[in-house]
Amino acid sequence: MGRMFWAERSAALYLAAWVMLGLMLAVLLGAATNAGIVASLLFALPLMLVYASVCGYSSYYLCRAYPLATRSLRPVLVVFFVTAASAALLWCAAALAWAALWRWLAPSMGGVLLSPPVAAAMFGVGVLLYGMTACAHYLALEFERARRLETRELELKLLAQDAELRMLRTQIDPHFLFNSLNSISALTSIDADAARDMTLQLAGFFRHTLGLEAHRKVALSDEVELTRRFLAIEQVRFGPRLTFACEIADDAARCLLPPMILQPLVENAVKHGIGQLPQGGVVRVQAVRAGSQLKLRVENDVDPDGGPAGKGGGVGLANVRQRLNTAYGIDASVHATRDGTHFRVDLILPADMGE
Amino acid sequence: MRVLIVDDEHLARAVLREYLTTHADVEIVGECANGFEAVKAIAELDPELVFLDIQMPKLDGFEVVELAGSKPHYIFATAYDQFALRAFEVHAIDYLLKPFSRARLGEALAQARLRNARPAQIEAVVKEAAARHTPIERILIRDGARVHVVPTASVDYIEAQDDYVAVCADGRQYLKHGSLAELEAQLDPAIFVRIHRSHIVNLSAIARIEPVSKDSHCAVLKSGVKLPISRSGYQRIRELLA
Repeated sequence: MGRMFWAERSAALYLAAWVMLGLMLAVLLGAATNAGIVASLLFALPLMLVYASVCGYSSYYLCRAYPLATRSLRPVLVVFFVTAASAALLWCAAALAWAALWRWLAPSMGGVLLSPPVAAAMFGVGVLLYGMTACAHYLALEFERARRLETRELELKLLAQDAELRMLRTQIDPHFLFNSLNSISALTSIDADAARDMTLQLAGFFRHTLGLEAHRKVALSDEVELTRRFLAIEQVRFGPRLTFACEIADDAARCLLPPMILQPLVENAVKHGIGQLPQGGVVRVQAVRAGSQLKLRVENDVDPDGGPAGKGGGVGLANVRQRLNTAYGIDASVHATRDGTHFRVDLILPADMGE
Repeated sequence: MRVLIVDDEHLARAVLREYLTTHADVEIVGECANGFEAVKAIAELDPELVFLDIQMPKLDGFEVVELAGSKPHYIFATAYDQFALRAFEVHAIDYLLKPFSRARLGEALAQARLRNARPAQIEAVVKEAAARHTPIERILIRDGARVHVVPTASVDYIEAQDDYVAVCADGRQYLKHGSLAELEAQLDPAIFVRIHRSHIVNLSAIARIEPVSKDSHCAVLKSGVKLPISRSGYQRIRELLA
């Protein structure tokens, strides 16, 4: 049996509904047969509760056996009509027997007398009640299914986010890692201390990225710290070619954002911007808070003769765009522009202080 | 052996320099930090062996070979470039994966000393690398030791001249070794159209098309230059302009 049916609250609601139906039947019978109200109640309530359990169990199984989504409508209708009719018939028989029993046990009470028209009406009511129970079950099943789908969707979304982050991590790996190792290899004989510093920076950077989880937001100051580590390593490789300027307002630094939003942009700025300039250039990161918005800007020098914006760097940018879209929908925007010697990415996202 | 080192990272050059000092017969004739310097140095210093990084600003390693020619022996170096690695494996070209050991460099040098340089293989790799950037956004032209980078958007038309093509852009003419068909294959077919056996034209440079006789036409460019249009060229240009 499904959890839905046996959950205490649904069972109580179900019973309450049937008790009310029982009261209604008692009133109607009292009016139709001139039996006293006490006699009607004593007659109708147990009868109704018995029917409640019959309808409940049998239609529950039938609903499970004939799910609406997969079966065609006609056989389902036929099956339910036949069972409803038989259940109602049995119920009427039980009602007649029950009425006879009452008259035999307590003839003085003037029990309910079921005339043929009243019995026929009861049969009709029985069929309808059975149908209504079935509909209620179908509704509950559909509701449960929708909820399961929703949970599943949410799980999938989380999984996808994690996968994206993993992909981003592996995207930074190869070039950056091997080139850094090559720099360390060079430094060991030139400047052993610098070589050691660089292994520590590299270890720090990777440890930081490994600790990130897609659905746990980080403070902008943490994200900036990660890009600082990254740029410190790249500065060893590029030497004076790479300059880094960082202007983060204090209230912006405390804002939360999904992890690895800034890092891919800075990485692009180095790879496609500074890396293509023999004389080097500046990578500039700016962040300000404007009311309920957090505004981020990553700007770098580019080769004016180079290819158009987004050459090869489209993946990182598209990924950032998509992840912001997943996290904030239309509240976030990503805007990339290029004017001659500068490439600029502007991000606007809600200023989330994490309450 | 006269050796040239080309890498944009000073530490990467330092490793090579350090490793090479232990080889008595090696003379380092120069070091370059970018592709332009490399093309110039190869033309002027005529090294026998070039250590060439692939990812560099302005010109990558393959473009350097394309411009400087495959006369020297090249040993390519890369940290991680899946395309390059696959190409090297396919064409059996020796390469260094950064970071590399002293011993590995020794092996590469020994190979180079055997002089089994195979220009055909290297040219094949360079061709594949060029195909990766198709349609091209710039045309690289070597003029002695100098390199011109001509953006394709600024090109008006290209004319075949024997073993060369003349690229006309911004009122200047550059001669590039190669055939018109080769260049045509690299250009964006939505912008450049072959209007004649010996002419490719940039559609946006055309001012108008004039009839010359009953069934022949010519294209008048905004610069005033008139180019002949063949019958099949007229078909192509009409389809593009339709």
